[in-house]
Amino acid sequence: MSAVAAKPAAGGAMNPTAMAVGIVMLIIILGICYVVSPGIGLMALIGVVVGGVLIGFGTHFVPVGGAPAAMGQAPGIATGVAMLAAGAGLAGLFGGAWAAEQGLVVAVVTGGVGGGLMMAITCMMVNFVYVFGMGIPSASGKVAKDPITGDTQAEFKSQGTEGHGLPFISFVGGVIGGTLGGAGGTLIYIQLLSLYEEMLPGMMQITEAQVMPIAVSAAGMFAVGLFLVNAVLTAYNITGTIEGPHDPKFKRWPRAIVASAVASALCGLVAVLIVVPM
Amino acid sequence: MSVKVEVIEGGVPHNNILIAGLVGTLVCIYLTYLNVLTGTELFSFFGGLAVVAALVWGSHTIKVLCSYGIGTGVPSAGMIAFGSGVIAMLLATRFGIMAPVVALVLAAVIGFILGYVSNNILNMKIPAMVQALTEMAIVGALTLMGFAALITGGFTFAGLTSGSISVMGMILPSYQASFIGGGLIAVAFLLGAIAIQHPFNATLGPGWKQDRMLMLTAECGFLSMIVAAVMSFALISAVAALISLVVAIFGWIYTYQQYMEMSKRDAAAWLDAKPIPDVEAH
Repeated sequence: MSAVAAKPAAGGAMNPTAMAVGIVMLIIILGICYVVSPGIGLMALIGVVVGGVLIGFGTHFVPVGGAPAAMGQAPGIATGVAMLAAGAGLAGLFGGAWAAEQGLVVAVVTGGVGGGLMMAITCMMVNFVYVFGMGIPSASGKVAKDPITGDTQAEFKSQGTEGHGLPFISFVGGVIGGTLGGAGGTLIYIQLLSLYEEMLPGMMQITEAQVMPIAVSAAGMFAVGLFLVNAVLTAYNITGTIEGPHDPKFKRWPRAIVASAVASALCGLVAVLIVVPM
Repeated sequence: MSVKVEVIEGGVPHNNILIAGLVGTLVCIYLTYLNVLTGTELFSFFGGLAVVAALVWGSHTIKVLCSYGIGTGVPSAGMIAFGSGVIAMLLATRFGIMAPVVALVLAAVIGFILGYVSNNILNMKIPAMVQALTEMAIVGALTLMGFAALITGGFTFAGLTSGSISVMGMILPSYQASFIGGGLIAVAFLLGAIAIQHPFNATLGPGWKQDRMLMLTAECGFLSMIVAAVMSFALISAVAALISLVVAIFGWIYTYQQYMEMSKRDAAAWLDAKPIPDVEAH
């Protein structure tokens, strides 16, 4: 197959059979978890799946430009999907981890605010660099008018590019994506942390105070691992660049939801199994 | 986009590297078990050699996968390798002496399902995807296990979660002075993730040569091993940590020299640039 004749395989098409297989896999994994650890283990796994889906869905909002954006030829932040998702999610995760003792809702909201804040700062500084450093206006190449402000885009778009800079809709998308990603990452961490705090003392025959460093570190590592898996799978779904919620590629999100749910359930099951008595 | 932009011309076939990497990694990890048999910690450095072997295999897998334009950048491959690997590795440590084999099987299962998910549900349709993600999850898990063996001298859950500190001559158990409880696993995670994705990212292009990339991988592996060996002073005896450090430094110097030789060999021209020259004093 030559490079010219090859069609881009990862188009917008859905694969219904594979989606059904994915959902069946998800149910089987939840069933296994119900058998080995009903109650607290299953609750933790459901939290992990919800968190993973939030990450996978949220990443679609983030304006990712990649190398073309660095050259001012495409809108978005000039790096890859995996890096941006990991950055937003981990910033949120660290924010949420501080609030872990104040309950689930406070911690998850804190994580969301942390992730959103990180993306807002990133988007603002990126636009500073684009506008004042590279001297290019912000213009989208995918839509004629900005869906929120109604500003027309075509006059500002340079010929031969797909748009450039970070239009307002992309900025808003970035903040929404960071918020969802940060909340999802924190949810995974909190669920695993409460599971480990409950189960590890009995398993290792030590007190609750002694188990804290291990529980925090293990839950953190599992959260980071799950985050990276979800971020990369979403990156595979997007294949390259996306402008934000107005981009046609955004319509691919159902695939990412199923993929994230299956991957999170699988990895979450392994994370639950580590504390199941053998 | 399943467009294969490069083919492997010459060099060792991927399957040979796969088998050599897998066997070498497992053997080296199991050689650290001599620590338990002999009651010392002197054999911890084999964990570092396992890391290098696994990374060499893993970077070639990344080359196979990223020869197809996956459109997400090479680093993402390293991230998913370790993201799925750390999960398999943490569970596998519960199985005692069987831990490396369990890590291999568990990581293979996780990687296979992730490969299926990305190839079919996400419609990537890349021929090498399933096998590559399976291999990379195994590489991630075994690399982390190698780091664990290098830093703590063992690879069991009890050994990784508990350490000891001496307070005024008394030896007290401590769960913070451990591989997992102390967060050393996070450092090991990124040391490995960067070492596995960097070589192909740095050497890709029309002038790509297999031996040069693999030598760079070994160099990155030994560089990571130096850092991990320094960290191991906290958890194992000073003599054992010193052996690891010396092995790592010598390995790094050798591979770095070899890599420079190969870079000069493949370069079109070579100018031995000097640092900014001293300006004549008056």
